[in-house]
Amino acid sequence: MTIDELEQLLVQQPVAVLHRLARGRVHRHFRAGKRRLIEMILQHSSQNLAGLESDVQALIAERQSQPQPPQPPARPAGRTAVAPPRRTAPRGGEPETAEAAVSLTTWLEGIGVPAPQPFVPDPWQNEALAALDETDVVVSVPTGSGKTYVAVEAAKRAIAHNQTVIYTSPLKALSNTKYTEFSKIFGPDKVGILTGDRQENGQAPLLIMTTEILRNLLYDAASGEIDIRLDTLGLVILDESQYIADPERGVVWEETIIFCPSQAKLLLLSASIGNPQDIADWLTSIRPTTCRLVRHSKRTVPLRAGYLHPNGKLVPLFKTAAIPSGHAGHLHPEAKRLFFEYEEETLPSGRPRR
Amino acid sequence: MPPSIHPVDLIASLRQKHLTPAIVFLTSRRACDEAMQSFDHADIVLPPVRQDAIAAALERVITQYPSVAEHPLIPTVQRIGVAAHHAGHLPSWKIAIEELMRQGCLDAVFATTTLAAGVDFPARTVIITQSSIRKSRDFTDLTIGEVQQIAGRAGRRGKDQVGFAVITPSPYIDLGVLTKGFTGHPESIDSQFSISYPMVLNLLKAHPHEQIQAILAKSFAQFQLNQRAELLERKLDGLHVQMEPFGPRVCTDWISQWQTFDQVRRQRPQRHQIRKHESPELSARFHFMTPGRVVGLARGRGIVLRQYRSKGQKNPMISVLRLDGAVTECPASNVGDIFDRIFECDETPAFPWCSAAAFDELSYQLTELPTRLPTLPIMVPKDSEVLPDAIVQSLGDFPCPSCPSRPACQKDFATALRLRQEQHRHTKSIQALRASLWHRFQERVEVLQKFGYLSPSAHLTDEGEWARLIRIDHSLLITEMIRAEAFTGADPSLLTGVMASITHDDDRPGSFPRISPGLSSLLGQVRKLAESLSPYEEPPLLRADVAALAERWIADPTLTWIGLCRLTTMAEGDIYRLLARTLEFLSQIHTLRATHPGLADTASRAITLIRRGVLEELP
Repeated sequence: MTIDELEQLLVQQPVAVLHRLARGRVHRHFRAGKRRLIEMILQHSSQNLAGLESDVQALIAERQSQPQPPQPPARPAGRTAVAPPRRTAPRGGEPETAEAAVSLTTWLEGIGVPAPQPFVPDPWQNEALAALDETDVVVSVPTGSGKTYVAVEAAKRAIAHNQTVIYTSPLKALSNTKYTEFSKIFGPDKVGILTGDRQENGQAPLLIMTTEILRNLLYDAASGEIDIRLDTLGLVILDESQYIADPERGVVWEETIIFCPSQAKLLLLSASIGNPQDIADWLTSIRPTTCRLVRHSKRTVPLRAGYLHPNGKLVPLFKTAAIPSGHAGHLHPEAKRLFFEYEEETLPSGRPRR
Repeated sequence: MPPSIHPVDLIASLRQKHLTPAIVFLTSRRACDEAMQSFDHADIVLPPVRQDAIAAALERVITQYPSVAEHPLIPTVQRIGVAAHHAGHLPSWKIAIEELMRQGCLDAVFATTTLAAGVDFPARTVIITQSSIRKSRDFTDLTIGEVQQIAGRAGRRGKDQVGFAVITPSPYIDLGVLTKGFTGHPESIDSQFSISYPMVLNLLKAHPHEQIQAILAKSFAQFQLNQRAELLERKLDGLHVQMEPFGPRVCTDWISQWQTFDQVRRQRPQRHQIRKHESPELSARFHFMTPGRVVGLARGRGIVLRQYRSKGQKNPMISVLRLDGAVTECPASNVGDIFDRIFECDETPAFPWCSAAAFDELSYQLTELPTRLPTLPIMVPKDSEVLPDAIVQSLGDFPCPSCPSRPACQKDFATALRLRQEQHRHTKSIQALRASLWHRFQERVEVLQKFGYLSPSAHLTDEGEWARLIRIDHSLLITEMIRAEAFTGADPSLLTGVMASITHDDDRPGSFPRISPGLSSLLGQVRKLAESLSPYEEPPLLRADVAALAERWIADPTLTWIGLCRLTTMAEGDIYRLLARTLEFLSQIHTLRATHPGLADTASRAITLIRRGVLEELP
């Protein structure tokens, strides 16, 4: 809909609708007459005609769905009335105007299940596995990139060489989940678990434990009183190793890494952190071989950010469909307006407008 | 408009946009539970096929974890396809929800932001409703890393082409924190290395004392401290270059020399700068124009009331009492004669510069003066350049005043001193950074020596040998209790109660069962001990009500899990965590069977008693 068509549409609306449209868009709109009001609304939304149009359609639809008495349309009080407004809105063509901000349709594009593809490891996964043959590896990748695949493959290779593998996670619940998961992959006799109160299959080649338990094992081994097979220990996987910055438990990760036997390879899996290079440099400084850092910040499944207004209106959060890295200010004008409106209405100091 | 979107509307609009399954992160456990309640009468039910799928999946989980079967949320989960998942639930429930989520049966899970790290299952959409989380007591803004951790749950590999992180506002949300979190680069992480007592004991068990410093140097903490130290060293190098023009001059350490000289110079009584145009005669005469002195002026005579220097030019001035009783200001150069006559003059700091009585007296004396008065003989020094000598005299042996490099020193002193002070400061902080871990270690060693776990030569004593096996929080308190034989003859329920109150560090209020008198008196002793240890170790909360809860579970083997939960307002998940942590502490005590067989036996009996019902079933 072009700006002229939109103006025509606005002219046809009763002035109450225009005032509702102007709320949050135009300052002191209640002072303006109809013609001036339309002018101001259009002027304000010249960058975001799509948003304005959708709002108009929603209001029209709402008026049509309501009984006809000409009382001014109050905001829907109950939640049942907050049905998503788009549904009944007639879908004209998308605005042809040169628009900086992405539209909701584009934003939602591509939603759904991808066609099943054969699993192909990402380059970084291969890189990490190749590096692990020779040295310690620090992996810092975004959540959900497939760190577990690296852990599983590395464990498989180490077990094939008759080495013992220790996998640690920060939480007992995560250990249990991994135990179930790895038992399915490796077979139940190949996986054991050691937590504070659970010990199963302690002689298995792949041992899952919390980091505290591993630390205790290493202390006991250092004072020479336990028969843990440290000489066959080939790989230690520390999952969620960003916990090294945990105020209470971080020290355990440091102790574990310091006392980890030098013949065992270390694999540190961590979510995105700011200074993975520091961790790698640290490992290089205390371990026999140069540590390899594998990092990337690109998500496997792209992420989009949206804004859902309490009245049920969904808009993109940023001007672009993808998240604009490093540009926190590139907000979608519609999201900005709605959030401003929200703040106005919920500010504790201000009197509610209605 | 409601302050935030209603959960039913939220789910409805997510479904309509095909944004399910979703994880909805809410502020608190209560918010999650209320969200679940709001579905009680909602009509957005799932089609029967999906309801059956959920029922079937639940069935499979229930065979493994029977405690899930009685969960009150199950009807809602089946009917609507939404669930709550937070720390107040039993682990079995959380496992069940995670399983349902993995199979794609659910449309939404309500979780707390606090436990975002523990939510280890992905969804298509993540709903964020707040920008801060509760850490210990107060709310702090989410860090960029945390926002990304939360948003990272959106988008399932292989099941989604795109993931969505959707913000829906609730009161007090700060959009800036979240947008920065989405777009920003995660923060650097810092080491949180701390040296605990068991760590010291275990290190000293395995390594001689002199090797420890090398081991501590291998920590990430030391690595980061070294990084900071290197940064300072680079600054220090820069300072070195800047200091080059200020090397040795006539004296090697001219900065200190000038500094002391300068200080001494400043400390001398403030003397007025004597102007060049002031004749030596005048300055010599001015010295004698003290209050009470009779002086001769161009017209008549007067008595000096005060002696001062003019504000701007610092000309020597006097205030004079004249014959007619007037007080006039006049330059010292106008004084003709200085007579050898002085009256008592009671000086005051303000006009008329002497007390009223003295003023009357002086006015009287002035009229009564004889016409002829002897003048004061005043010697005028020949040498006008008296000053440098005077400085040399008053400053002792400083060569500076006559030194050839004096102008250069005077000019550079301020810059050079600042640079040198910076150098010293940096050197000191570098030393502190390099040695701080070692000092902290030594502090711990001293405490352990004081309590007798370490010998004066820093070897483990017999006490230390067993104490090092207690590797948990509050280890000093626990080992001291064992040494004080607090648990002699205690039955498993008492031991469990005490351990539970030591482990519990949450101060959420609630109602709890009544505590037994035996446990109460034992806890009193523990509290006293913890207080006496507080300089060395942060004392635990030692809540009696929590202890009573754990005690009840051990003391009454017929008590069911449901029965235990009914005794208290504490959430199921919290009770479970309390008992599980207590179990861990007890199993640490169990490792002392070689030295404390009785206690270890009690602990192992307590362990078997704890492990029943839900605690046995769960991993």
